[in-house]
Amino acid sequence: MNAPVTTANPTETVRLTLNGRPVAAEVEARTNLVDFVRDTLDVTGTHIGCEHGVCGACTVLVDGEPARSCLTFASACSGASVTTIEGLDDDAIAAELRAAFNREHALQCGFCTPGMLVSSRDLVLRLPEPDEHRIRMGLAGNLCRCTGYAGIVKAVASVIADRRARGIGPRTAERPLGPVGAHAGTDTIVAPLATADAARPAALPTMLAEDFTPAHSFDQSFDLPFPPDQVFAVFGAIREVAACLPGAVVEAMPAPDRVEGGMRLKLGPIATTFRGTARISRDAETRSGVILGAGGDGRSSTQGEIRYRVTEGAAPGTSRVALTVGYTLKGPLAQFSRPGLVREVAGRLIADFSANLDAHLKGAPAPAAASGGVNPIRLVLSLIGARLRALLGRAEP
Amino acid sequence: MKPAPFRIVRPHDIASAVAQLRQLGDGAKVMAGGQSLGPMLNLRLATPDVVVDISGIAALKSVREEPGHVVYGALVTHADVEDGRVPDVGEHVLRRVAAGIAYRAVRNRGTMGGSLSHADPAADWVNALSALDAAVEIEGPAGRRTLALSAFLTGALSTALGEGEFVVAVRVPKLPASARFGYAKHCRKVGEFAHAVGALVVDPTAGTARALMGAIDAPPLVLADARILFGGAIDGDFAARFDAEAAGAALAAAGLADAVDRHIHVEVLRRAVRQAAGLFSPETRSAA
Repeated sequence: MNAPVTTANPTETVRLTLNGRPVAAEVEARTNLVDFVRDTLDVTGTHIGCEHGVCGACTVLVDGEPARSCLTFASACSGASVTTIEGLDDDAIAAELRAAFNREHALQCGFCTPGMLVSSRDLVLRLPEPDEHRIRMGLAGNLCRCTGYAGIVKAVASVIADRRARGIGPRTAERPLGPVGAHAGTDTIVAPLATADAARPAALPTMLAEDFTPAHSFDQSFDLPFPPDQVFAVFGAIREVAACLPGAVVEAMPAPDRVEGGMRLKLGPIATTFRGTARISRDAETRSGVILGAGGDGRSSTQGEIRYRVTEGAAPGTSRVALTVGYTLKGPLAQFSRPGLVREVAGRLIADFSANLDAHLKGAPAPAAASGGVNPIRLVLSLIGARLRALLGRAEP
Repeated sequence: MKPAPFRIVRPHDIASAVAQLRQLGDGAKVMAGGQSLGPMLNLRLATPDVVVDISGIAALKSVREEPGHVVYGALVTHADVEDGRVPDVGEHVLRRVAAGIAYRAVRNRGTMGGSLSHADPAADWVNALSALDAAVEIEGPAGRRTLALSAFLTGALSTALGEGEFVVAVRVPKLPASARFGYAKHCRKVGEFAHAVGALVVDPTAGTARALMGAIDAPPLVLADARILFGGAIDGDFAARFDAEAAGAALAAAGLADAVDRHIHVEVLRRAVRQAAGLFSPETRSAA
């Protein structure tokens, strides 16, 4: 359908069976099955919607079982048998479903229909009876935005009822254990990249809005066995503070109250570098300060602030550091929200940070990996929060 | 919404995967069924240099029974459990959990080992298998080791997996015939990650109970001795004595500051308790 995309990245031949026909084509390692089918093989009946497994539009049969073709890499299903909506023309159940969808007005714009039919066919095969609740649960992974689901559910129920009345019982196909479509590994390296995908430095955002109101905020605090004046003094030495947070790098301090730098972060499969700039203000009278910053990783941007206050701790000569962290996120990640996880990760981070700060105050050398940083807590919190919300905003795999 | 470029390697056995991981180092990411990693790659939240696709390793697509345990290969899928292609650790214990994970199309590729390794606090296996006191077998450069899930799950999305290590199997204790299992979760939409999970493994004959409250944005809160939730002792009438205040206090102690959030988690645990007592249908949320 689309014009062939030329790419500098090397490709590898993937061989599989599509709708009963052996196919072989050059793809990149990152090519999802749905893009392989639609763009490389020009078989466009399969639709692609959310691209993260929630909407169900891309559902196809892989080795006879429904699978998300947006969450399946073509190179990871070499040797598999893939059936798209085009391959169901002569399928008896699909024919009955098409008639039922037609009869029950179960389609309107048609965008969800290929995925709906594949999932419906699976329900017709597996459900023992036309139980509306189970059909609705079974179709929960296929989103329709026009007809509602009443017609679709009726259509599926009618086909199940009809087949059971004809004496055709439910069945679950025999199959080997493991992910459908995953055939023996070959140890071949598919699509070796000639050049490493180097770090993508983002442009430094320089605008710091004066009237910043965070969308999310939370409080954290920790204690240190040093007097408040000493702790407050350390907070004024940005490079020392940053040294207590692994992964942070100070690039420049163009003015005493301004810092530019970045934060390398790794959490689970997430690894990225946020770069940003921050402005610092302090009030010695109240032993408090504000770090206002903005940063980005090239795709998403964030603005945030940390307000801190150092007070007397419970015991004489100790301190309590109270942090209020506020942040706002913009860009592709902003649609997701799970602030609770931000707090959990922040708790772990702040625990590491306070331990390192404690060691630093005791005169221990800074941790080897930490060579300075900027406004580290805000950057990290914004970053981690964004990513965690992103992956939790979708369906559970 | 397309992944950043990466290389992919598809090792054919465990030794080869370990060797590849050792050679590739930090830029490599293990992928099993890809149902958790896939969205992160597509969204470019994860941008590994190399994806080590272990889904072609036959040895991980296996199951074995030992006295007291069922050992599931890491690549056993949710659908494999749902359909009964692998033995369960008790009557309809893991099957009911598996049937409620995401959607069928996801369950056909998502794996038990992958889900645990992804360590999402709201994921079903993370919670159900923690409630059942399961352990993971880990293969790596230094050989094989076994870790209880309580030690394996170190935080949201964080595990004790070291460099070059990956999960090869999941060891789940079989439940004694007298034990009962309850598992409930709260989702606003079927198939999404849970907002609250509750689980109870209770043996009225032995007088023991193990309770879990999960999806708390951190590894689940497990009460290995949950008698405190039932007035201090377990007998046949345990469900009637469920102490919501004690459960709420445990959550508060674990850092759940929001009263509404605690209430939801306690009520979901109450459903799990009622389910374990046979008062609440296990089919309610697991019919898809």
